[in-house]
Amino acid sequence: MDFLNYAINGVLLGLLYALVAMGFVVIYRASKVFNLAQGELVVLGGFLVWWTVIDIGLPLYAGIPLAFVLAAAVGLLIERIFFARLVGESVFSMVMVTVGLMILLRGVVLLVFGPQVRPFPIVFPLRPLVTGDLLIPTNLLWGGVLTLSGALGLSWFFNRTRTGLTMTAVAEDHQVALSMGISVKRSIAFAWVLGSLLSTLGAIIFLSGKSLNFLASDIGFAALPVALLAGLESLGGLLVAGAIVGMVQGLATAYLDPLVGGAVGSVLPFIIMLLILLVRPTGLFGWRTIERV
Amino acid sequence: MDPAGIFAINYAQDRAIVRTAKQWLALGIFMAALAALPFIVHPRLIAVANIMLISAIVVVGLQICTGYAGQVNLGQAAFMGVGAYTAAVLASRTELSFFLTVPLAGIAAAGFGFVFGLSATRIKGFYLALTTIAAQFVFQFAVLNLPGYWLGGSNGVTVPPAALFGHRLASDISLFYLCLVTAVIMICGAFGIVRSRFGRAFIAVRDDDVAAGIMGINVVATKATAFLVAAFYAGVGGALWAYLLRFVAVDQFTLFSSVFFIAMIIVGGIGSVVGALVGVFVIRAIQEIITSVAPELAANLTFLGGDIVFASMNVFLGGVIALFLIVEPKGLMHRWHILKSAYRLWPFPY
Repeated sequence: MDFLNYAINGVLLGLLYALVAMGFVVIYRASKVFNLAQGELVVLGGFLVWWTVIDIGLPLYAGIPLAFVLAAAVGLLIERIFFARLVGESVFSMVMVTVGLMILLRGVVLLVFGPQVRPFPIVFPLRPLVTGDLLIPTNLLWGGVLTLSGALGLSWFFNRTRTGLTMTAVAEDHQVALSMGISVKRSIAFAWVLGSLLSTLGAIIFLSGKSLNFLASDIGFAALPVALLAGLESLGGLLVAGAIVGMVQGLATAYLDPLVGGAVGSVLPFIIMLLILLVRPTGLFGWRTIERV
Repeated sequence: MDPAGIFAINYAQDRAIVRTAKQWLALGIFMAALAALPFIVHPRLIAVANIMLISAIVVVGLQICTGYAGQVNLGQAAFMGVGAYTAAVLASRTELSFFLTVPLAGIAAAGFGFVFGLSATRIKGFYLALTTIAAQFVFQFAVLNLPGYWLGGSNGVTVPPAALFGHRLASDISLFYLCLVTAVIMICGAFGIVRSRFGRAFIAVRDDDVAAGIMGINVVATKATAFLVAAFYAGVGGALWAYLLRFVAVDQFTLFSSVFFIAMIIVGGIGSVVGALVGVFVIRAIQEIITSVAPELAANLTFLGGDIVFASMNVFLGGVIALFLIVEPKGLMHRWHILKSAYRLWPFPY
């Protein structure tokens, strides 16, 4: 029964990682940029919620939507300041801009919100759900449900709707997309708004009832194996990859950590990711592209 | 482009890095100034110079991997950490001289880097760049979880001072010369690597790895070599770091420092060894200035609070990186080249 408990909780945590990884994938699908600043976006989202709910003192039903609006504004601002100027530039420099963004956002968060550890509002009830011998934290359960619906919804959006498909065209080649009459800027702006919103959602689920400071950005890198394992193009695959990574991590933390002395859970996802990438270089569900010279 | 009237009349001249007598003179004066630095400037600045020299070694290695071979490497700090730990353990346990520990640290780090480079056999592009992040986590995990008497766990390792012929190199000034000599050797090596057939292969792979493969370059071996070289440089830098601080701990080598190393090559200029040096100098100088100015600012403007130093440094540096990529993606060296050719062509436009 313990085993089942660890496995289920692991899978739910993995789905939370999948939600954060969804931010990576959405931005990648719409602009072929791998956003290294995703973790800082999560922190920023978390601080926005802290600010609206605890600092200003708005009730949850008003504060959280306001935080989402602000997060969307931040996403739009990032696009306007940085990426609107880089249309047509190489992917390399766009990715490097996210490196700068990572340092910049960390500084901004420190300047605006300070390095103190802040309490995060209790969005989901702290009491875990008990069914028989299973203990399931409510925040992770809700996170799982939201990830599931988010992944399926976005997967449909990117693969079936016209707007979603135009974004794939933008990711393929800015110039071709422009000559087909697709607005590259709008597509990238949409991607960043969406990425920013998903990060805020991830922050709410991850941090509900816990405490928050700028170091919470580590979750961005914890979610990295999920994104790579799924393949950077696949939204539905995130669910599978998240479940695998989460379960392995959960079980490793429970059974291997006592043997080795801790932290196996944090490094094992990377090792699994490396091994799976060696067999399938584009992840489990990533696109295999034909390269031409 | 050479100045007017200077022509290469044989291959040796064409290959030369320092091409004119004036350049030799400038280089000589620069090296003499560097060697005389401890007698000129305040001792505190020598400590800064030491950090700069060590960063220069690490970043030149990164430049070869990222700037020349085009392989984004987010594990450089971890490679540096492997070198630092190797040197620290060897120096504190076996009393080997630093003539041996520094190269051995480089080799240990190179081995570690090569393992990650080998994943290039299957993994390409972003996936490869991002797997280097795994190096960071593996390094951290290994240090913290190996038995405490091996690597000291979270307590770190204390390093005895370097010794040269029974003479202890413990002061900043003596370490300055150690770092300077090592940096000069490593940078000369970098110039050699990038104009050798390996360097040309790196550039071909960076520009288009499919085309490079068709031309007969072993793409996988080239990428793995790039990681090996980068990690070797990082390891040597890490060893010097261990001797400089006389203490290594795992939190000195974070993913964030890897990001800063990348920032340095962006600001200096991607694909230029001198650019890497310029980038190191500029970023480290900015960091130093902010660290020394900010406390006074915070003292005068109390409403800002004392934590402003780290925060404003990040805002400024993050802004600088983004600005460079938007305005001058080729870095400061590109500006310098434009200026130089304009000067040489003057008064003609081209």
